[in-house]
Amino acid sequence: MNTRLTAGRYVGQAVKRIEDPRLLAGRGRYVDDVQLPNMLHVAFVRSNVARGNIVSIDTSEAKALPGVHAVYTGDDLNPRVQQFWHTMIGPPIEMGGQTHYAPLKPLAQGDVRFVGDPIAIIIADNRYIAEDAADLVQVEIDPLPAVVGILNGARDDALVHKEKPSNISDTMPIPEVPEVEALFATAPHVFTRRFHQARATNVPMEPRGIVVHYDRYAGDMQIWAATQSVSEWRSSAARLTGLGENRVRVIANDVGGGFGQKMMVTRDEAAVIMAGHLFGEAPIKWTEDRRENLMTANQAREEIFDVTMAVTDDGTLMGAKVFFWEDIGSYPAGAGAGAGLAGGVFPGPYKFPVVLPGGSAVFTNTVGKAAYRGPWMGETVAREQMMDHVAYELGIDPIEIRRKNVIKAEDLPYTTCTTMVYESVTPSETMEQALEMLDVDAFRAMQAEARKEGRLLGMGLAVYIEPSAIAFGILSSDQAIMRMDNTGKVIVAMSTGNHGHSLETTIPQVVAEHLGCDINDVVLVQGDTDSSPMGPGTGGSRSAVIAGGAAQTASLRLKDKILQIAAHMLEASPEDLEVNNSVVSVKGTPAKALPFAMIAPIAYQMPEMLPPGMEMGLEVTARYQPPGPFTWSNAAHVCTVEIDAETGHTKILRYIVSEDCGRMINPMVVEGQIAGGVVQGIGGVLFEHLVYDDEGNPLTTTFLDYLLPTAPEVPDIEIGHIETLSPTLGGYKGMGEGGAIVAPPAVANAIHDALRHLGVHPTDFPLGPSQVLALMNEAAQA
Amino acid sequence: MKPSSFNYHAPASVNDVTALLAEHGDDAKVLAGGQSLVPMLSLRLAAFEHLIDLNKVEGLAGITRSNGTLRVGAVVRQAVAEHSADVATSVPMLAKALPHIGHFQIRNRGTVGGSIAHADPASELPAVALALDATIEAAGPGGTRQIAAADFFVSTWQTALDEGEILTAVEFPVWGPGSGFAVEELTRRHGDFALVGAAAGVQLSGGKVTKAALGLFGLGPTPLRAAEAEAALLAGADAAEVGRVAASGLNPLDDIHASGAYRKQVAAVIVRRAVQAAMQEAGA
Amino acid sequence: MSDEVIVKLNVNGRDHKVMVEARKLLSDVLRDDLHLTGTHVGCEHGACGACTVIVDGAAVRACLLFAVQLEGSQIVTVEGVTPGDGTLNPFQQAMQDCHGLQCGFCTPGFVVSMTNYLDNNPNPTDDDLKIALSGNLCRCTGYRGIINAARTVAGLPVPANAADGSDH
Repeated sequence: MNTRLTAGRYVGQAVKRIEDPRLLAGRGRYVDDVQLPNMLHVAFVRSNVARGNIVSIDTSEAKALPGVHAVYTGDDLNPRVQQFWHTMIGPPIEMGGQTHYAPLKPLAQGDVRFVGDPIAIIIADNRYIAEDAADLVQVEIDPLPAVVGILNGARDDALVHKEKPSNISDTMPIPEVPEVEALFATAPHVFTRRFHQARATNVPMEPRGIVVHYDRYAGDMQIWAATQSVSEWRSSAARLTGLGENRVRVIANDVGGGFGQKMMVTRDEAAVIMAGHLFGEAPIKWTEDRRENLMTANQAREEIFDVTMAVTDDGTLMGAKVFFWEDIGSYPAGAGAGAGLAGGVFPGPYKFPVVLPGGSAVFTNTVGKAAYRGPWMGETVAREQMMDHVAYELGIDPIEIRRKNVIKAEDLPYTTCTTMVYESVTPSETMEQALEMLDVDAFRAMQAEARKEGRLLGMGLAVYIEPSAIAFGILSSDQAIMRMDNTGKVIVAMSTGNHGHSLETTIPQVVAEHLGCDINDVVLVQGDTDSSPMGPGTGGSRSAVIAGGAAQTASLRLKDKILQIAAHMLEASPEDLEVNNSVVSVKGTPAKALPFAMIAPIAYQMPEMLPPGMEMGLEVTARYQPPGPFTWSNAAHVCTVEIDAETGHTKILRYIVSEDCGRMINPMVVEGQIAGGVVQGIGGVLFEHLVYDDEGNPLTTTFLDYLLPTAPEVPDIEIGHIETLSPTLGGYKGMGEGGAIVAPPAVANAIHDALRHLGVHPTDFPLGPSQVLALMNEAAQA
Repeated sequence: MKPSSFNYHAPASVNDVTALLAEHGDDAKVLAGGQSLVPMLSLRLAAFEHLIDLNKVEGLAGITRSNGTLRVGAVVRQAVAEHSADVATSVPMLAKALPHIGHFQIRNRGTVGGSIAHADPASELPAVALALDATIEAAGPGGTRQIAAADFFVSTWQTALDEGEILTAVEFPVWGPGSGFAVEELTRRHGDFALVGAAAGVQLSGGKVTKAALGLFGLGPTPLRAAEAEAALLAGADAAEVGRVAASGLNPLDDIHASGAYRKQVAAVIVRRAVQAAMQEAGA
Repeated sequence: MSDEVIVKLNVNGRDHKVMVEARKLLSDVLRDDLHLTGTHVGCEHGACGACTVIVDGAAVRACLLFAVQLEGSQIVTVEGVTPGDGTLNPFQQAMQDCHGLQCGFCTPGFVVSMTNYLDNNPNPTDDDLKIALSGNLCRCTGYRGIINAARTVAGLPVPANAADGSDH
């Protein structure tokens, strides 16, 4: 069930992961594993009301507790901040940038704006004492009515940020285009739906954490952090403190997942950096606990989508208007994440003649929004559910309406109505492959039989195109710094990090493939600003395409130099040489050969043996920038479910993915990313829901309330591959986010299919048993 | 999430426990498996100056059968009871309930007595104790006393144990031949607290139900005994009718996982399924 | 603050003596005092399973125990279920072969839990395995590789289309 390219010696092979043995043996090195002499520990005092004025903060009792070294409030830390913004987003409007930031300060000062808002920071001998001290800080807050809910926030009855004129941070109205209005006025069918996606969160299994060691005599700061980007952390720490970037070193060894939550320095981490800078006597460590992670780490997905679609009688798409409301909470990481991009990619895999997008990002007194695995993915959630709603309205099969409108091979290259250019995508082919894997006819027969017994089976299909390897600003490129050592082995340093992406294996696969060496002779160094190049780190489904491109280019450059040296020594032309298993030989004359292990010492130690004029050494750098702002990958997902008609409980029967991420470096790793993303997507529909009450109190601050899927709830995920080369250097396409993007509508559409004959047409997440049964009751009474 | 300070005590006898409780009053708390208590301490939802560990107290870890009852000591691990042949043959309802508790790692430490004394209205064992008319053995400064399960569960996390008393054992009645049992529950995920749960027991004689027990969990402030539904069962009602009767008197509350209306509606279904399964096992 | 107490612990076959407050959780004592950082803390309320260790032969949550409770017990951590000679135990090896880990943070908990479970239950059904895995949370893998690793060790069939790891 695959359309695969021919695999290379390494690229295309399911190479077992190099990083696994140490992680399996419990010898990973995560930030909380950092233990330094004299290290002290941090706990926060946090607001227990969502909105209110701080009347007083009394830290005297806490400061007097034995084992407590410092207690800082906003008055201590905030005035010391030089600048607080994110490189990826750019400087704020006030500094000449483009971005409307929330008024970022490490600690609350004057008022509090969400439950969990950090008010004071304690430095103590250990975390136990730090928490004791936190309990002793007396904070009096005069509570005010909280702003909760996107549409409530948009009414501006009360302001989340008094520095801002409105709770609407950014807004982009749907353009008024007379021709489009005329089209909608005369279209045979126009349907409108409002979809709602519930608040969910990234939940890396390792919460956030940071160790800050500022030595005021050395004048430098060393940071160990659970971060997706050491470069971003270094830039942020330098901006916050006023230290030069060259005075800040950031190390991320192993990171226990991020999914977007660890992309940017948030207020908590900024407070620890500022506290460490002010304290200056000893390293301090903050390890976020799970309650903090569920209460104060940035969250995602709380969105409303208003979709209007015009179609012909036979289901041909005529146009769409979409408005995205996103709840960005109080202090989003960056700004409103998605509306602009979401509108641009809304056409997805279909030939829409016109799409007019708009959106508003709304502040509320809840925790801020994060980038979470496909931050713009609301477009797919809305579009793919809408396709089914429209199909059922017209009495057309959801498969057929997609077949009628999907972009096919003969349409390529295709420019969408929103000016996105697809050169090599396969939405039609993946859709057909996924449907074949299911055997639609057999499923429909089984569904009909089951229905006779009152059992509710359904299938859902969802198709999408993913803007992977987003290449704007700092995201545009990545660098590889490559060195062959004296023994002929290779070290490659990159800006990436290890938080589950398998780059310690896949980058060496690329290097070994293109350099011609054994994979065990390649080591990737990452996650350390002192040894790695500048770059945006890991995220945005970028590493295979952009880091992979840099690694490939560096490998070829290094190989070129090796061949020149070998050619000189073997008295041959470089074109007549080949490389196999770290040995350079003359083609057809294998006896005339030089291993890397002989060439490397010559390059470093024997200039007289090098070609005249050649610089000594075997060190190269390469920076790769992909040809376009997006590298498009695509997939189709099919889900089948059975719903317990009496309890509303949904069981997933089968889950099928067909995907095209270009040339796969490691199909095992690709499948791992798909499965992980899919289960996060399933979670967002069936299990996960971060709940705030009307006063802004978070009700889901433990794992007993915020429900992650576990092994018995997930199906065996069946995966088919189609490999078509992207226009990038390696032909790769990014795919890390896709599973999480398209699984939610696939599951929702399956539930819709199971229940539609009862008059149930779901539009809102979550779809837990309570919600499903309520919809069934409602339909039965209608 | 670190607990507040406490003084730790590991007494060796029940008398030592009750003496410590008498000395420290409500500044002290007993610790059995700790699977519910320790998270509450770490979240600082509770704090005690003295923690009295029951795990090294002699005489609390045995399972013994005598005179038509099975006595389960307070610190018998749930996993031990789950794999006990005595439990499986003597109190099948208990054996069927145990695998629903959390996960195997939780049951390896959690105790039968601790679960019942914790009296969470959504957990399985209190409902089993109530359904089976178990007897709770309590020890206090004045010696031991027996408390009927019907009198034991006062409200959410509140029992009839006096301050200064601890649960030392639970005695479950052993049913005779012709019996069948089932524990049915609806959870969001495997191992979660039940949204709706039912423990059913029936005994048949000559094709008629001669004995019926029905305990509900997740449906009120305490585990509930569905007495009217038991009466209906004895009167020959079918399982669906028994479910309707059991659900009719319920008034469960909303929470983030399910509405009260949902729980009430589904209670009829879960009770029906439990009764059907119990009847089937009994040979109906 | 209460006084510190001396606690004697046997961990991975070695005797240790530490001086800690009675309130110190076993997970923290293992990590901070014994520097056995393979035991990971993911939730501190017994729900995620990352801190799972084996106490007297049974897998339990280290975050739900106080170290002071465990004098006289035999404690085994992820470091202790690993052979130590550079090889992996059968479940660990199957995890690598089946791509059962990505970020690796939850991994020690799965390794300890399933090593213990499969030692005690050598012939589980497929459903038994999934239920046994339900006490450990993973956010990266969707459990696909983990379930397949457990199946491999238990001798149960693994679905055909999983891309198998190849040796290089």
